[in-house]
Amino acid sequence: MKTILAVDDSATMREMVAFVLESAGYRVIEAEDGAQGLDRATTTSCDLVITDQNMPNMDGLTLVRSLRELRDYKNVPILLLTTESSDAMKAQGRAAGATGWLVKPFDPATLLEVVQKVLR
Amino acid sequence: MEESNSPTPDARGAAQAADLLVTVAATLNERLAFTAEELARSQALLREASSELMTAFRGAADRLVAAQKDETASAPRNVEYEVVLDHLYRAVQHLQSHDLVNQLIDAQKLRVDKMREKLGEAISLSKPPVNDPAQAEQWIQRSRAMLDCIVAGIQQIDDDARHTKSDKKHAGSVDLF
Repeated sequence: MKTILAVDDSATMREMVAFVLESAGYRVIEAEDGAQGLDRATTTSCDLVITDQNMPNMDGLTLVRSLRELRDYKNVPILLLTTESSDAMKAQGRAAGATGWLVKPFDPATLLEVVQKVLR
Repeated sequence: MEESNSPTPDARGAAQAADLLVTVAATLNERLAFTAEELARSQALLREASSELMTAFRGAADRLVAAQKDETASAPRNVEYEVVLDHLYRAVQHLQSHDLVNQLIDAQKLRVDKMREKLGEAISLSKPPVNDPAQAEQWIQRSRAMLDCIVAGIQQIDDDARHTKSDKKHAGSVDLF
């Protein structure tokens, strides 16, 4: 079973993401900000990370950069799931090493399609 | 020669303009206080509704995920399961909107509070009496300081608005790099 780390400071968003992914057979672990996400990622081996951008303590882009510095996460797909939709932000995400950018609110079917695609 | 303390027409005009500025700032601050209250009330109602919806959603979602875990390879998936899952997926999209609206209200509340703070600061600049009320320049300096303070507040709000901008047109969009 693939393990996915969902990072978001909104408990509702984490719950929505977790439900959709668990209903499709994935195991989901959650973190409420980038710092906690980084901690979870180092203690549990994750196959995919889905993170929000604007969060306290550590934002999503910083989390992406920090994860890419870790040997185990060099090639693990990382998706940004955020309300931010500007091209400038997406360019920053790409430069940081993110695999993709999804804008909230997400469509469950689309999220599952993207997850399946990046995990292939 | 003795200096006259009676204000010149220029000083009288500058003093009236300064008073008007204080009145406008105080009135605006009152209106913003009312707006802040309304936003807080709207958010409380939305939170309550979201909380009830989440409880209902959680109950259904937990049962569905548990049922899925109990499934055996030989047992075909119930058609009803797919229908319920489809309904829950649709609920997911709308529950996210509740959450996002809540965040938008939070951002608006923060902006209103910051503006009220700046207006309060501007009003406090009008409290100490001017050294020489007969000098138009002193009234003008005070008004300028108040206006600078208000303009700084507006700029701060504009900067915050740029940072929290969300775009409905791109909602749900996907970019894979």
